[in-house]
Amino acid sequence: MRYGATEVLRGVDLDVERGEIFTLLGPNGAGKTTTIEILEGFRNRSAGEVRVLGVDPERGTDAWRAKLGIVLQSWRDHARWETRRLLAHVAEFFDDPYDVDELLEAVGLTGQADRRVGRLSGGQRRRLDVALGIVGRPELLFLDEPTAGFDPEARSEFHELITKLAARDGITVLLTTHDLAEAEKLAHRTAILVRGRVAVCGTPDELAAAVQAPSRVGWLEDGRPQSVTTSDPSQVAWELHQRFGGPVPGLVIRRPTLEESYLNLVGRES
Amino acid sequence: MNRKAVRIGIRRGWIEHTYLIRDPKELIGTLVSTVGFFAAMILWIGDTPIEGTNVTATTYMTAGLLAFVVFGAGLFTLPTALATDREDGTLLRLRGLPGGIPAYLVGRAATLLCQIAVQSVLIMATALVVGGVGAPRDWLTLVWVLVLGTVAVVPLGAAIGCMFPNPKAAAGILVLPAMGLMAVSGVLVPTSYLPEIVRAIAQVFPLYWQGLGLRAALLPDSAAAAEIAGSWRLPQVAGVLAAWGIAGMLIAPSLIRRVTRRESGSRLAERQLAAARN
Repeated sequence: MRYGATEVLRGVDLDVERGEIFTLLGPNGAGKTTTIEILEGFRNRSAGEVRVLGVDPERGTDAWRAKLGIVLQSWRDHARWETRRLLAHVAEFFDDPYDVDELLEAVGLTGQADRRVGRLSGGQRRRLDVALGIVGRPELLFLDEPTAGFDPEARSEFHELITKLAARDGITVLLTTHDLAEAEKLAHRTAILVRGRVAVCGTPDELAAAVQAPSRVGWLEDGRPQSVTTSDPSQVAWELHQRFGGPVPGLVIRRPTLEESYLNLVGRES
Repeated sequence: MNRKAVRIGIRRGWIEHTYLIRDPKELIGTLVSTVGFFAAMILWIGDTPIEGTNVTATTYMTAGLLAFVVFGAGLFTLPTALATDREDGTLLRLRGLPGGIPAYLVGRAATLLCQIAVQSVLIMATALVVGGVGAPRDWLTLVWVLVLGTVAVVPLGAAIGCMFPNPKAAAGILVLPAMGLMAVSGVLVPTSYLPEIVRAIAQVFPLYWQGLGLRAALLPDSAAAAEIAGSWRLPQVAGVLAAWGIAGMLIAPSLIRRVTRRESGSRLAERQLAAARN
């Protein structure tokens, strides 16, 4: 999958492998939704090349659409319909859909099967949206900010569901989030999008290395605390040991967490 | 449009219809606006014969209201429903499914036909029970005028529905011209009571012609004398209604395509945010 767009997106280049969970991470306004909508074929790009499952989304046929699952940010549709009925209706559009009852079970909505969609809680509604997104056995699933507004428990359950589905059925998942912890927990690989550009892309470890903010080295000298910020704390510590000719009093080396590194990167870029 | 989309669409339309008739608000709205209104009119002026004929006002109004049911469903209910479906994301959901948009349109049309059928039956029943009107004189004409009248307004209604930013605006903007047209189209009051210029305007729109066709089906031939040309002009009825239908069919698909192409998740979210602020 490759694309590059202008204006909101300024030359985004990345490839997503089949079967992987890939997150687009970035602050609000970074262009995550624009990117995902271009990929879904809901929005036309002004320039660049995009291939989704080998097809340009702007020329996507029904056969291509049948291989995609889409979960957008804010659905309020079909509020009158019962949960199971809506899922069965959407399943009809596909040649080889999942069994509706099994899928309801998998997303934990068996108890709500006959409840009206409009009466579901936020978390239940989101799980239904995912069920609707995958009922056609897609090869590729798009999730746009799937856990926005979730409490921690619902979020954790949701992560388990996505991981389970991806592992069981080999679905490729592309999801956007502004929550670093979510990207870290779910994704095989993550691209950090800042102001329409990919700042960093890679596995969580690669990401941590690439975005590493400077570490802080602190010690006591003449009873007073001293500190320096450095990208090479090991070198600084060695120099301190030389200077003190032995152990350094109150030596502290503090490496930033991934979150601090991420915030540093976002701040630096914007 | 493939057969699968049509099949799913018809089922979809039927499901939507069953929700509508189970919704107390919709049901009461329908009953009050058609049966209640009509029954009150019958009790008020029902026995008065239309000037120059031996037709009672009830019979005349039966034809008029049937015309208005189709007209209102096509040019009022349908655009509002489309605008609502756009706003809450229904249209976008369907757009993300293979064959979703054709199925959606078939579904909307099916729901509308069910609605028109239910209301027509209610009106005929009210006319028979409360007004003592006899069964239609010419069933064949009744059916073809109702069907052609639907064909005349549905594509147009879909096109109108695509042009409004939100459902509230659609309802607010549409209600006045619809009422105005109802007043001048001879639906409730024979056009012979109206000034020449108003009659000329009324004859441009499908509502007049549909009313005329329905009167031809329900009223005795002698009543034709009270019409503008002194006859039922059925060929013209068919011609004008078909012309409106064809014009609508030419405009509507490209409008619908344009609107659905413009829809995206972020626009949906923006609109919902804006709506929440107001």
